[in-house]
Amino acid sequence: MTDAAHHDARVAESLSRREMLEVTAAALAAPLLQLGPAAAQPALQTAPKFFTGPELALLDELAELIIPADAHSPGARAAGVAAYVDFRLAESLEPEQQTKWRSGLAAVDALSQELNGQAFLQGSADQRVAALTRMAAGEQDPKTPAEHFFQELKRSTVRAYYSSKIGIHADQEYKGNVYQRGEFAGFDAQ
Amino acid sequence: MTLVRVPPPLAQDVDLSKTYDAVIVGSGAAGGMAAHVLTTRGLKVLMLEAGKKLPIEQELRSMQWPYDHPRRGDAPPGYHSLSFNEYTIRTPPYAKSSTFQHVMSYVGGWGGSDYVKNILVDEKDHPYTGTKYAWVRARALGGKTNIWGRLALRLSDYDFKGKTHDGYGDDWPISYADVEPYYDKVDLYLGISGVKENLPHLPDSLFQRPNKLTFGEVRLRESLKRMGRVLTPYRAGVTTDGLKHNRYRSKCYGRGACDRRPGGCDIHAVFDSPTGLIYPAMDTGNLTIRTNSVAHEVLVDRNTGKARGIGFIDSATHKSYEAKAKVVIVAASTLESARLLLLSRSPQHPNGIGNSSGHVGHNFCEHVMGPGVTGLVKDLVGKPPTLDDGRPGGFYIPRFRNLKERQPGFVRGYGFEGSGGFSIFPGNAMGTPGFGAQFKKEVRDHAGAFIGMGAFGEVLARYENYVDLDPDAKDAWGIPVLRFHYQFGDNERKMCEDMVVAGREMLETAGIEVVGTDEKILTEGWSIHELGTARMGSDPKTSVLNQFQQSHDVKNLFVVDGSSHVSASCQNPTWTIMALAWRSCEHLADEFRKGTL
Repeated sequence: MTDAAHHDARVAESLSRREMLEVTAAALAAPLLQLGPAAAQPALQTAPKFFTGPELALLDELAELIIPADAHSPGARAAGVAAYVDFRLAESLEPEQQTKWRSGLAAVDALSQELNGQAFLQGSADQRVAALTRMAAGEQDPKTPAEHFFQELKRSTVRAYYSSKIGIHADQEYKGNVYQRGEFAGFDAQ
Repeated sequence: MTLVRVPPPLAQDVDLSKTYDAVIVGSGAAGGMAAHVLTTRGLKVLMLEAGKKLPIEQELRSMQWPYDHPRRGDAPPGYHSLSFNEYTIRTPPYAKSSTFQHVMSYVGGWGGSDYVKNILVDEKDHPYTGTKYAWVRARALGGKTNIWGRLALRLSDYDFKGKTHDGYGDDWPISYADVEPYYDKVDLYLGISGVKENLPHLPDSLFQRPNKLTFGEVRLRESLKRMGRVLTPYRAGVTTDGLKHNRYRSKCYGRGACDRRPGGCDIHAVFDSPTGLIYPAMDTGNLTIRTNSVAHEVLVDRNTGKARGIGFIDSATHKSYEAKAKVVIVAASTLESARLLLLSRSPQHPNGIGNSSGHVGHNFCEHVMGPGVTGLVKDLVGKPPTLDDGRPGGFYIPRFRNLKERQPGFVRGYGFEGSGGFSIFPGNAMGTPGFGAQFKKEVRDHAGAFIGMGAFGEVLARYENYVDLDPDAKDAWGIPVLRFHYQFGDNERKMCEDMVVAGREMLETAGIEVVGTDEKILTEGWSIHELGTARMGSDPKTSVLNQFQQSHDVKNLFVVDGSSHVSASCQNPTWTIMALAWRSCEHLADEFRKGTL
């Protein structure tokens, strides 16, 4: 893990006004909503607002691959990550953001064509993971368009998932944001 | 156990035809305290606040879940918060030629811009020029106390008598013994949480129930003890036991929303000026408030040279008004107060009122921040989640440099603020590499195992660090704006290098693996602890105010905010601002009754 990565970790743990700034701000620029399974799975429950149907289905699958359902908790699909990103981009007043996402998804399909000879969602489960693995290989130092897009995709997925009902309660089992009575939080003040 | 939900008192009508006993410019920690003390002593007071009176509980929404907000706390499209990059690459005015409709300081980008978008100023309306500076301003009743970080510390004679200790700068005209009774009053009136440590360099307050430390924090505390250093639970300006005398504030219920927003507490367990000071002052019947009132001049009596009131502009209508008073109290924040004094030029005070010394705007100081460390407490990996953030803050490590020994390379010191344990958002997720089931599990297993801390260091007061008025640039109301001539120096850079080394050493000694360090110094202004610019002193030639924050030049003019501080120390200033304002306003009330003002 890089310093920057751990910096993020600390940032969210702490404190007063450390440099929450770009990382957090940019990350926040992503995340919400209810959205059903996609792609090979049953159809999306909400109509896309910014993306085309196929783009949204692709994003939904990518998000679920990044944070999948497991025995512990549901994943990004159930948490509605793709629909939230779609909603935020639809109302965005920053055309360059919109362009970045649209061309990023196109880069994913282009990479998949190169690796597997077909679009991402047409590939088998193994082929999809292989394409995403290739995108993630440059996570620390992205070079190709698909590698650059992976950073944005992952940041937005993380932000949307861990601020969702599923992320906070089912996955993280967060205990706070409640009125405490009696014994208060913490280990020991002595 | 019931929450207090008492509506604000009914406002009194403003009567600008009348001469008030005192007019106060600003409603934050300093202005609020002045209002409290003076109205309690029976003075008829008019308070002018440049910002709006906000329905603050609706702004803060402290317990709103991220997923119950349409943008997970973000402001709607059209709002932009300045980033470190923007502060670094560009020069003020930062919002100039921005394509965004509204531009906020970096605090807006700190996880919840929608909750502060009406509290922070719009940089587009409030430009400034000169050197790089991350100037955070809140124009609203209560000012920055609506969203402050809550760390409530005392200064000691290591600070008040800094020059005596190490030869640098100037001593304050007062010592700890002068201020101690007023710190006590502030503690008891507003409530503060913490643990007694008996440190000469960080005197104890009269504490209410402390907050507990988490597992990792206790481990660090034990290890530091062996190093001769102290880690103490966050000394929070929060009432943890409640305040019988204040019906506008609830005690703290450890709800845990304190750390995921830019601050603010919608049950007012955290001190804020409106519920802590201003509403009770209104209840005396002696306080009148006018919001949307942008002060631009301390008016002067042409015969006596004394202050006679305040010239201000209504922020909504842009109409000009005068407020008349026998005493003028400036409490607009360190930089805005300096600006107001400099703006107040008259034949009697050609350099600005109270500025015969030429020191207004100078000796500007604050805290430097940025360096910090993150550690991983291995024993906590994979442990089930616990409630770790149900408290107003984590811990504080008081200054340990340049107390008995002399540190090579720099004078003065720094303290660390930090915390460890679970919080609502697993910050480690951003930095955990990869994707898929393994990634997800790793985030879960490590979420509560990190501990992080960042330092706040004293920036030396230097005459050559100053603000003045820009000859050309004006704000949205046509008022000349501040121009910065301010930069960190070598002492700050050396100190920041030491912060990283010392932070790393402290975690490692505790057996906590250091997984990240920050060496970067954040932009000047980032700490939001600007101080100096109208310092106190015994010599009218080298200081602006006497020990009671009273102008050397103009007897009925007081400046009771952080601008009066002679040095920054490394302790967060709010509690000291209020203790000094209390002390000065008691003196003011005495002199007012004697007729000497």
